[in-house]
Amino acid sequence: MRTTKAVLTLLLALCVQMGFAQSRTVKGTVKGPGGEPIPGASVIEKGTKNGAAADASGKYSITVSGPKSVLIFASLGFATQEREVGSNSTLDIFMKESNEQLDEVVVTGQGVGMSRKRISTTVSSIDSKELKKSPAMQLDQLIQSKLPNAQIKLSSGQPGTASIIRSRGPVSANTNTTPVIMVDGVRVDNLNSNAQLSLNTGGAQSSAIADIPMEDIDRIEYIPGGAATTLYGADAANGVLQIFTKRGKAGRASVYFETQIGQMVGTEDFLRWKRSADLVFTPGLVQNYRLGFSGGTDAFNYSFSGSLYQDDGFNSVNQQVRRNFRTTVAARVSNRLRYSASLAYSNSEFTRDYNANTSYARFGNLEGGSFGNLDSLTDQEFDDLKQQLQDEGDVTNITERVNRFNVANNFTYDVNDKVVLSLDFGIDSRNSKQQELFTNALQITKGSLPDGTTDQGAIDVSSRQFLVLSSNLNAAYNEKIGDFDFITTVGGQVFRENDYQTLISAAGVPDGSESINNSADQSVQDFYNTVTSYGIYLAENVGWKDKLFLDFGLRFDGNSAFGEEIGLIPLIKVGGSYVISDESFISDNISKDILTLAKIRANYGEATIFPTPFANDLTFALNPYNGLQSFAFSNPGNANLQSEIAKTTEFGVDLGLFKRVTLSFTYYRTLTEGALFTPPQAPSSGQAAQEKNVGEIENTGYEIALGVNLISSEKHNLNARVSYNSNNNVVLSTGGAPEFVVGGFTFLGSWVNEGQPLGYLRGAKVVEDGNGGYEVERNAFLGTTFSPTFGNFGIDYTFNNKLSVFLNGDYQFGGQGVNVDDVLRYFGGVNDEDRFPQEVLDAGITSFFDLAGYWVEDANYIKIRTIGAEYNFGSLLDNRVKGLRLGVTVQNAFNWASSSFDPDVSGSGFRAQNGFAGGGFGFGTESAPRIYLATLRVNL
Amino acid sequence: MKKLYTKFSIVAASALLFVGCEAIDPTDVVNPNLSESALVGQPNSSQSWLNGIERQMAVTANNNLVVAEIASDNYVNLQTFFNQFMDGLAIDFQDDDVDDSQFHIARLREMALFGLNEIGPNDPNYSAEIQAEYEFFAGHSHLMAAMYYQALPGASGGPVLGRMAHLDAAINYFNASDATSANTSAKMGLARAYYLKGDAANAVAAADAAIAAEPDFLRVVRFDPQNSRGNSNSNNYTVNMLQDAIYDRGSFDDLQPLPKLDFLDPKYSLVSSTEDSDVPMYKIEEAYLIKAEAANAAGNDGAAETALGDLFTVVSNRPIRSISDLAEDRFEREPGSRPDSTDISVNGVTGLVLDRGAGNIDVPSVSGTSYDAAMVGGLTGDAMLTAIYNIRQEVFIAEGMRMVDMGLTLVVSQNESLLNSNVSTADTEADIPAFLSAISSEIDAISYDAAARTCTITHDITGLIVANKAGDYVCPFH
Repeated sequence: MRTTKAVLTLLLALCVQMGFAQSRTVKGTVKGPGGEPIPGASVIEKGTKNGAAADASGKYSITVSGPKSVLIFASLGFATQEREVGSNSTLDIFMKESNEQLDEVVVTGQGVGMSRKRISTTVSSIDSKELKKSPAMQLDQLIQSKLPNAQIKLSSGQPGTASIIRSRGPVSANTNTTPVIMVDGVRVDNLNSNAQLSLNTGGAQSSAIADIPMEDIDRIEYIPGGAATTLYGADAANGVLQIFTKRGKAGRASVYFETQIGQMVGTEDFLRWKRSADLVFTPGLVQNYRLGFSGGTDAFNYSFSGSLYQDDGFNSVNQQVRRNFRTTVAARVSNRLRYSASLAYSNSEFTRDYNANTSYARFGNLEGGSFGNLDSLTDQEFDDLKQQLQDEGDVTNITERVNRFNVANNFTYDVNDKVVLSLDFGIDSRNSKQQELFTNALQITKGSLPDGTTDQGAIDVSSRQFLVLSSNLNAAYNEKIGDFDFITTVGGQVFRENDYQTLISAAGVPDGSESINNSADQSVQDFYNTVTSYGIYLAENVGWKDKLFLDFGLRFDGNSAFGEEIGLIPLIKVGGSYVISDESFISDNISKDILTLAKIRANYGEATIFPTPFANDLTFALNPYNGLQSFAFSNPGNANLQSEIAKTTEFGVDLGLFKRVTLSFTYYRTLTEGALFTPPQAPSSGQAAQEKNVGEIENTGYEIALGVNLISSEKHNLNARVSYNSNNNVVLSTGGAPEFVVGGFTFLGSWVNEGQPLGYLRGAKVVEDGNGGYEVERNAFLGTTFSPTFGNFGIDYTFNNKLSVFLNGDYQFGGQGVNVDDVLRYFGGVNDEDRFPQEVLDAGITSFFDLAGYWVEDANYIKIRTIGAEYNFGSLLDNRVKGLRLGVTVQNAFNWASSSFDPDVSGSGFRAQNGFAGGGFGFGTESAPRIYLATLRVNL
Repeated sequence: MKKLYTKFSIVAASALLFVGCEAIDPTDVVNPNLSESALVGQPNSSQSWLNGIERQMAVTANNNLVVAEIASDNYVNLQTFFNQFMDGLAIDFQDDDVDDSQFHIARLREMALFGLNEIGPNDPNYSAEIQAEYEFFAGHSHLMAAMYYQALPGASGGPVLGRMAHLDAAINYFNASDATSANTSAKMGLARAYYLKGDAANAVAAADAAIAAEPDFLRVVRFDPQNSRGNSNSNNYTVNMLQDAIYDRGSFDDLQPLPKLDFLDPKYSLVSSTEDSDVPMYKIEEAYLIKAEAANAAGNDGAAETALGDLFTVVSNRPIRSISDLAEDRFEREPGSRPDSTDISVNGVTGLVLDRGAGNIDVPSVSGTSYDAAMVGGLTGDAMLTAIYNIRQEVFIAEGMRMVDMGLTLVVSQNESLLNSNVSTADTEADIPAFLSAISSEIDAISYDAAARTCTITHDITGLIVANKAGDYVCPFH
């Protein structure tokens, strides 16, 4: 409580320091080298978050704190410019084309908006132009293959399912690699796994990321965990992904309408039998309609965008509907106070098929060999099976419904020319409900119950109500003394998450009821998860001659999930960057035409992941047991439980060459100290495993990103980019604890042990015994699901500024995965040919436990995620139509993999809520479908 | 105007911070779960704790029965995710099932001790009956340790105790339990503990005391599928896991019985959508079998015959359940690959295999046997001992006893050996009777000629038990 008061006192102190000074409005036009307007160019008051965007005519208007304010003008493809306002009320800017992005302004992780060159860590961003090309309907799909140092793998093609988002490798055995996600400065639910109480429909993992409102996204920033996220403390060791939404522009209201229509087909690339597709895949219609308008004045602007999406899935069971809208407003409340807000709502409803780990999984049963070799079915058997599966599909009834509100508010107050206060606060409220009608009819159709059974139906309903409230208050102070300039930020953050879940099960339900009331018996469970995190921070960025920058940060982090012996945790960062190409000894000797830019940077910083809420407490459980109260030991408790701290040292260089090439190189080493492990206790204690800060995990690697402008002429423009990332992950210590399982199966699981990568694949391996025979090595290392090498690539060609053709994709090499489907086929005697050496089988080694290692395959892949083309017709009908664009895209267009299963999908390999997720178990679930889409967008 | 803004700013900031204070006060984070004070010292907490021990017994049974049945010749695991090693007697200290087995035996003991030491003494309504139950479960935990382990720690992180030490501990607790409040469970526990110790006199005395107290005694483990949670190895999995393995077809779970026991399978089946079958924990049949074996060991086969006659009477009064086993049939994955009809002879005997495709089948849910008084009439010596062990196999099918009769034991697990310095390497190495290790891959082997309608069981395990009765592993009275 004392710490809370200290935080509050500081926040209050920041608030009451408000003063008064003069502000003014500056207007002008942002133009290209030829005088053409640059719509959408950003105009930001340096050292603040105060910003505006140029309208369709390149015109902007911004209110700044005074004549000493410096405006930063930026737009993709142009060199960023800085201009002091001085006495001007009009500032027209001519931008120069550039191929380097180092002057882009970055907000995330810095306290205030800061030019990229001042930052000593890696930052990636995706702008609206890039985002527009992708018709993806959920965030993880949208950013897939677009962030150079991040890898996104979708665990299933079923709607609303989870993904594995990782950049530098897993830093924690206690949670997955999903970054913190923020929208306009406000945290949102980033649960990327099933909730604690969720339906068991065979391994499909639901995800809160699937329904983050996607309307009007202007820009996405992503900073990998480590030094860049020190200021976020709490759970930022996996990085922070921040979405910025669009704001309306002053001027005439603009309206747009967009329609997308296409088809979704099941991916057949990884099927064991093509006939699996013939039996259960059916192409489905995809349609999306979006309407938006925006406008405003200098003092007030607004925007609205709404969309309606529907698809029929790629089989007869999956269907999905999404309804989204977002409204944003921005107002100048006074000369000093600005307010902006965004409010978004998303609703999604979808139906899901059974997956993988249940005998009701249609696709899983086919590929798992339950029906034998599909190629050897006679036509009659095939038709009968198709009918059988259709009948099962007709009575499969699993639905999920999500309603989500997301509100972000931002207040900015200019105290004077040098001091700006900024307050972000808002909520994300997400309510989801899963319902499974496990009817008598389904069980009869499946052959599990005799015909005529009416009393074995069941209904399961799981609900989750999640609310996160977050707030960030800071003061930024800009000062310039001689050749030095200082950006000092002091602030505090707090967030609170409330997670309440229920699971209701009804048994003995007759068919026809969707209410649990109509049942012979009902039971219910609930689950609470509440956590409050708070922190105060101080950051200092010092510049010298605008080319050498030093960066310091200090944060004190507190959390209700800490044990009672733990107070505030101090976190520090220190770093620097040096634009060495601005030095005369470089510029005098190497032409700017050759070395456009060279920046070196180095940083050390600490970020954390907080413990599982309530894992610190000693608790007992009261369990229902045949209608009686029954007590049991529950959590043993740990008074010293605290965050695990990921300490990252990184250094790198950013180069601009020949005005056409950008090259970024980063080396990093992250050491997670006090890693949260939950190893087993000695069995003789009879006590459950307890979360402890006992581990040590190391991640090292390189990140290389290359961008090349291959052709740049009046008519033709061709850009290519490629990234290469390496990651070596190893558990340095388990603190003496035995190894423990974090996913997978008993015969072959994901484990944590000293000297091995996190979640390494462990199982039996057949080895030669030295006497010409074979023996089984138990619990052997079989591979790692986090591929040590990954990256992505893209090509973008523009003709005459009208036609653009683009492609992007990603790859991984060096990882492994398990073909679980073939394990099941082995049970049915239809496993892949040549899976095992005959001499091993002849030696009598035939148990699937002993043969486990043979199902582990190298999971290298290259995938083209999106191919597309777009034609911009420009303005039509005497400018009554301001713009008309027509585009076509193919998503998940091409897959190549060294494995016989899809390395992306994972029907297992996810633990409990927010738990470790290594994936890598190719198991009874469909790959992300191939989607052909045509898009028409009209601007009025 | 300026004043207004100043006021507005302060009011707004205060309001925000006030709201923030409500929201961010960490003391407002309340763990909804129960602390120790919500339990210890509360009236009637001892009864609730006892209920918890009963529930833990269900979990402990789950984590031992399936393994024990697979390890024995009763069941073979042909294609499921249940234990893959035990069928071939590959008893490995790294096997998770071995770890789970001993964890849940220890948890049962720790819960009983916490009841005796903390919960009971602090509950104003603590009764002798409840104390006796705590003592009974402490004893039963030690008894299970002795049944399934050559050696196992007897306390949290404690020294590794041999079977005899566990049996002595069990006997002490059972005696204490019966003294605290006389109960037949403790008497039956004593009978089995003395039996395993090879102490025929005390075993028979305890058996007689149990028969005298309750001539149709049956104590069961109760499950609660409706409130079961988590995976099958979790602390909250209260489905009858063996029922799942031998009957339910919700998943690809399919244990196959030895064909000569087909008529006794599945002992556990669906009772209702919310109720699983009970598993016998102690039943009076065991008292008669102990008496019969003691008499046979003493050369008094007439008395053994009498005891078996009494046993048949008890068995004949046990319930028979009529169920549809059509969905499961006999080996769902490859129908027809194992004996599945009444006309098939097993080792020359017909009528041991049921036809599951021809309507409901009748299966004993507590005890059943193919033997009757005539079949044991006049048997002597090893022939009588063979009959006793065959009857034990039938009567105790799916109760985890055949593994004990075969002399098979598990080992101290890897986790225990890493975290408990008392564990030696020898404690982690399996000690399998030589007569079984010689045929380890064929414990469940059969040959079946579907056309000739004959099935032959490759090895007569009961015969091997009797042939090795003088050894240390089997037939404790010999």
